[in-house]
Formats: sequence, structure tokens, C-alpha cells
Amino acid sequence: MTSVPFLLLIEDDDAIRTALELSLSRQGHRVATAATGEDGLKLLREQRPDLIVLDVMLPGIDGFEVCRRIRRTDQLPIILLTARSDDIDVVVGLESGADDYVVKPVQGRVLDARIRAVLRRGERESTDSASFGNVVIDRSAMTVTKNGEDLQLTPTELRLLLELSRRPGQALSRQQLLRLVWEHDYLGDSRLVDACVQRLRAKVEDVPSSPTLIRTVRGVGYRLDSPQ
Amino acid sequence: MSDVVKRSLRAGLRWTSLRLRLVVVFALVALTAAVSASGIAYWLNREAVLTRTQDSALGDFRQEMQGRAASLPLHPTRDDLQNAAVQMANSSPGYSVLLVDERDTGKPIVGNSDLDTFTLDNVPAALQKAVNKQQRVEAGNKYEYHLFWQRTSIRGTPYLVGGTKIIGGGPTGYMLKSLDQERQDLNSLAWSLGIATGLALIGSALLAQAAATTVLRPVQRLGDAARKLGEGKLDTRLTVSGTDELADLSRTFNRTASALEKRVADMSARDEASRRFVADMSHELRTPLTALTAVTEVLEDEADSLDPMIAPAVRLVVSETRRLNDLVENLMEVTRFDAGTARLVLDTVDVADQVTACIDARAWLDAVDLDAERGMMVRLDPRRLDVILANLIGNALKHGGSPVRVAVRTEGDELVIEVRDHGPGIPEDVLPHVFDRFYKASASRPRSEGSGLGLSIAMENAHIHGGDITAANSPDGDGAVFVLRLPRDAEQLTRSAGGHGAGDRDEEDDAT
Repeated sequence: MTSVPFLLLIEDDDAIRTALELSLSRQGHRVATAATGEDGLKLLREQRPDLIVLDVMLPGIDGFEVCRRIRRTDQLPIILLTARSDDIDVVVGLESGADDYVVKPVQGRVLDARIRAVLRRGERESTDSASFGNVVIDRSAMTVTKNGEDLQLTPTELRLLLELSRRPGQALSRQQLLRLVWEHDYLGDSRLVDACVQRLRAKVEDVPSSPTLIRTVRGVGYRLDSPQ
Repeated sequence: MSDVVKRSLRAGLRWTSLRLRLVVVFALVALTAAVSASGIAYWLNREAVLTRTQDSALGDFRQEMQGRAASLPLHPTRDDLQNAAVQMANSSPGYSVLLVDERDTGKPIVGNSDLDTFTLDNVPAALQKAVNKQQRVEAGNKYEYHLFWQRTSIRGTPYLVGGTKIIGGGPTGYMLKSLDQERQDLNSLAWSLGIATGLALIGSALLAQAAATTVLRPVQRLGDAARKLGEGKLDTRLTVSGTDELADLSRTFNRTASALEKRVADMSARDEASRRFVADMSHELRTPLTALTAVTEVLEDEADSLDPMIAPAVRLVVSETRRLNDLVENLMEVTRFDAGTARLVLDTVDVADQVTACIDARAWLDAVDLDAERGMMVRLDPRRLDVILANLIGNALKHGGSPVRVAVRTEGDELVIEVRDHGPGIPEDVLPHVFDRFYKASASRPRSEGSGLGLSIAMENAHIHGGDITAANSPDGDGAVFVLRLPRDAEQLTRSAGGHGAGDRDEEDDAT
């Protein structure tokens, strides 16, 4: 990762695009911009940004679809820029693989904080490894393997797994996870956790609908168990 | 549930009373008709029967008197009289005869056919007097004596008593005819008529029932339909059959219902249009606002290094952009509540942490005294709790000044958060309106710092949890107290309301 984060901003409205580019540049980011989802996907292949800030309402293919297409091949972080905090938008966005979301109008500082928080998730901070059943978490290489095969996890999914694996057998509440993984202060949206857990389960569990590794603790949150 | 039962019972009673009224009216009509018909029939029959009996008895008696009594000697013996009386009585059975004559002047002798039943005592004095009275013979009255009769009752039995005097000297004769047979006939006639009246009454009651049913069933249908209409089922219609008044009424009902439906549809369409307009407008405002918001920080950061003439203008733009931002944000929130699209995202949280985070995030820690113990786990929407608290505490700080006291406790199944300030309190006339939208406490203060929607949004957020907020002045006169009450577990509410306990989608997985 370069020292100056390189962002791709996909936003159709000229004014917003210009303003956000200005603001993010001032916060010390390098910003590439695209006005449509198609252009954005093309730029993504050409320039390999560290993170994508993606507007939901786009002409042509919408933000959700862009998100889904990116997730087919890439695990880079995506922050959704949604014009509505309507619940359906957020849920669909999170299900299509976004790591976080911000609601317009957003202050430059807030967006910057979110971007930095997401980028930090991919940073290495330990050198050991741990195994849970057939899943091996290598904290030095920041990789997760299942039956010897590399799992493609987004930084957020990886961080979530790391935080859970650091406290095996201990239930963590959604708000705790929001603080640890998303760096949100208590007021975070617990659906971020739920959506991410769903995606993580889809990748690490043998049968995602009856999880044996990442367990739900009713009324509390989630817990990572070693399968018996 | 009991309300429904009570209502239907009351309706039943009301129906019964209308039915009862119909039956009573029918019965009264039938009674009047039957009684008057029976009365007239009875009366005519009675007269006819009595007259016939009377005429034949008196006619017979007259002939007997002419035939037998007139042929007696001028001064008959008692035996003569007796024999004549017996013969007269026997010649046509059915009445007793009494003959009175004078052997000599002042020596009356009496002969009677049946001493046991008929003596002169049985003859009413008035009749005797009439019989014995010698009439003046004139143009209109050819005879001195006439045949008189009277109905009388001896020991409870009705009798016909007749009497006459032979013209030109002769015995005075009386006859006594029992009318018992006639009375029995008439009694049985009366009984028959009574029974017929009774039958007519029963028949009329049954008819009334039938009529009531045919009238009341459509009325009941109409009532049911009206009730359904009242409950909001505006597509309720009646099937119209026939051409009577009830069919007319049904048609009127249908017309009214469709007019009502149309009007309600119009109104809700207009309502929906205006709501959508507000939603769309706030949505449209967002795009320029997003661009503005993104660059206000750039302006703000540079303000200090700008020309002192321009810096205040820049700061004004920055602060007003934020205000506009808050306003649009609140407007959107309100439209979500109005459109019913607001949803709870539930999570189990430590209330003390949430309140602390809310206060901390807004740099209010120095101005707020927090009294909350950690470990109170409550299931609610943390974002909405934050909105409520931010509005209540922000309001308290604005109007009451610091320190604001926030006390958190649980009471039974409720979470109670009390926000108390030490300001001048809320005027009594304003108190009922503090949660109204855009309600300004004073007309002289048209520009408030807030959007005018904060407390109303706080209230909506409490309601969506199944909770409530109350505003009051502290009893000791020291400031205002807002009390937020939320259920400790808002889950049941969303479940029963069919909402999405979105935060809990996969809680069913396992509970080990």
C-alpha cells in the first residue's frame, strides 16, 4: 500500500464529484473520478485504487450492481455513498458486498475517517497464526486458508475474523464489533455487522446456513468457536 | 373483544325492541279489529236470539191468554185459574204461567202452573203496574190493556217475564220464560269469539314477527355494511334487490359509500402527492447540499487566512449550510415517519454506553451530569435512541442551560431516561405543543436555532419503539423535565407489528 491512499470516486453528479474530490484531496488522498459505473469499472482495472467510494444512484448500472461486479473479482474496500438512509438501500448495499456506507450529505472529515478506518483493516499487526477446524488464519501474511486453499476475504471480513479469532469462545456484541472493526462509536448500524457476518460465513463455513464456526449468541452478538 | 360482544348485544336488544314494537302494534291492531268485530257480532246475535225467543214465547202466551184465560168465567174459582194456568203452561212448554183474578172485589185469587218457580213475587212491581194500568183508548191506542214484558234475573238465572190483562174483565196473566238456554248459547258464542280473537292475536303476532324479519334483515345488513364502512372498509357495497324503500335505502347507501370512497381516495392521493413532494424536494435539496457540505470544511479551514472582510461571510455560509443540512435531514426523517417507511434496526446495547457516546460525540460531557449505571442491557435501535437523546439534551442545553441532568433507570419492563434542565421551564400554554412540528414557543422569536422538528422527531422515534416522551415542569419550579420511556425490549413490538427486526435476522441459527 502506498503511503498516500489512492481512491476511486464514482459519482454521477458533477458538483458532488468535484466537491468530494476537492475535499478528499485536501485530506491527503489521491483521487481518480468516474461519472458512471461502466467508466468506474474500467478505471478500476486500469489504475488499481486502494478503495472505492461508490454512489448508489448512478445512470446505467447502479451502485449495487457495480459493487456486485467488483466483488466477483476483487476484495478491495468499497464505501457506499447513499442519498437515502432508507433501510432497503442500506441492506441491499451491504448484501452486495459494501464494507461501509455514508449517507449524503456527508462532511469531508467524516468520509475521510471512514476511508482511513477501512484502509486500516488490511494492516498487519501481529505475526502469529491460529487455526479453527480446517480454517487457518495467518496473521503475519494476512491470509485465511480453508483446507489449504486461500480464501478471498475483503479487508473488513478479514478484520472481523481476526477480531473474533483473537477472543475465541467469547461472545462479542455487535456494537463492540462495530467499534473494533468499523471504528464506529456505539451509534453504528448493527446491520453492517450482520451483513458482514453473512458474507464471511458464506466463505468460511462448510454450510453457511448452519454455521459451526461463527456462532450467533442470542441477545448478545457473535462468537468464534473451534468446531468440535 | 368484549366491546364487540357488548355492541352486538346492544344491537340485539335494539333489534328486539324494534321487533317488539312491531309486534305490539300489530297485536293492538288485531285486538281492536277482533274485539270490535266480535262485540258487534255478539251483540247482533244476542238481540236476534233473544228477540226470536221472546217473540215466540210472548206470541204463544198471547194466544193462550185469548184462548184459555179469556174463556174463564167472570169470577172463576181458584181451581179454575189454577187449571187454566197449568193448561196454558203445558200447551207450549218452556214457560210458567201465573193467572191473577178477583173472585170478588178486593179478593184476589192466584192460579199458577208451577208454584215452585213462579209466584207473583217474581214479577217486578213495575211490570205489574204497567200491566194493570188501564190505558186510555184513543186514535193511536185501540186497547185498554197491552202485553208488557221485561227481562229479569231470578237467583242468577235470566228470565223473560211478560204480562197482560184480558180486555173487558178477566184474569191478569203473567208468564215466566227461562232464558238460560239462550244465555248458554250466547256464552258459548262469546267463548268462540274470544278464542277467535285470541287466535287473531297470535296470528297477528306471528305476522308481525315475519314482517319484522323481512324488514329487519335488510336493516341489519345495512347496519353491518355501515359498520364496516365506518371501520374503513370503503369498498363495502350492498346487493340491491327489489324496488321497495329498503332497496332505495341500499342504493343510497351504495352511492354514498362510493362517493365516500372516491373522496377518501382523492384526499389520500392528494395527501400522498404532497408527502411525495416534500420527500422529493428534500431529496432534490440533498444533491446541492452534498456538494456544499463537502466543500464547507475547505472554506472553514481557510477562513482564518482570508481577508477579514470575507471571513465572516465564509463562516456564515459554512454555518448556514450546516443548518440547512440539519433541516433537510430532519425533513427527510419526518417524511419517512409520515410515509411509514421508518424501520427499527434493533440491537442489544448497554444504555449507559449509548448515552455516554451520544453526549461525547457532541462534546457535551462538561455540560451534562449523567446518572447511569453500566450493565443495563436494552434491546432498541441505537441510532434512534441517539436521535432522541441528542434532541432532548440539545433542547435542554439550549433553553435551560447547563448543567443538564440525565438520569437513566429501569422500571419494570421500561427504560426510563429523564432529562432535566435548570432553566426557566416551559410556559403552561406551550407545554401541550412542545412536540408539535415547527411550533415556536413565542411569536416574537420566529427564528429558533433548531429546525423546529427536533422534539417531534424525538417523539416519533419514541413511538416507533412503542415508547413515549412526556414534558413537564419540575414541581420545585426549577426547570423542565423530559421523561423518555421505552420498552426494554422493542422486539415484541416489531414482531407483532410485522416489522423487520433487521438486526436479528439470523438469531434463529443457534443459541448454544
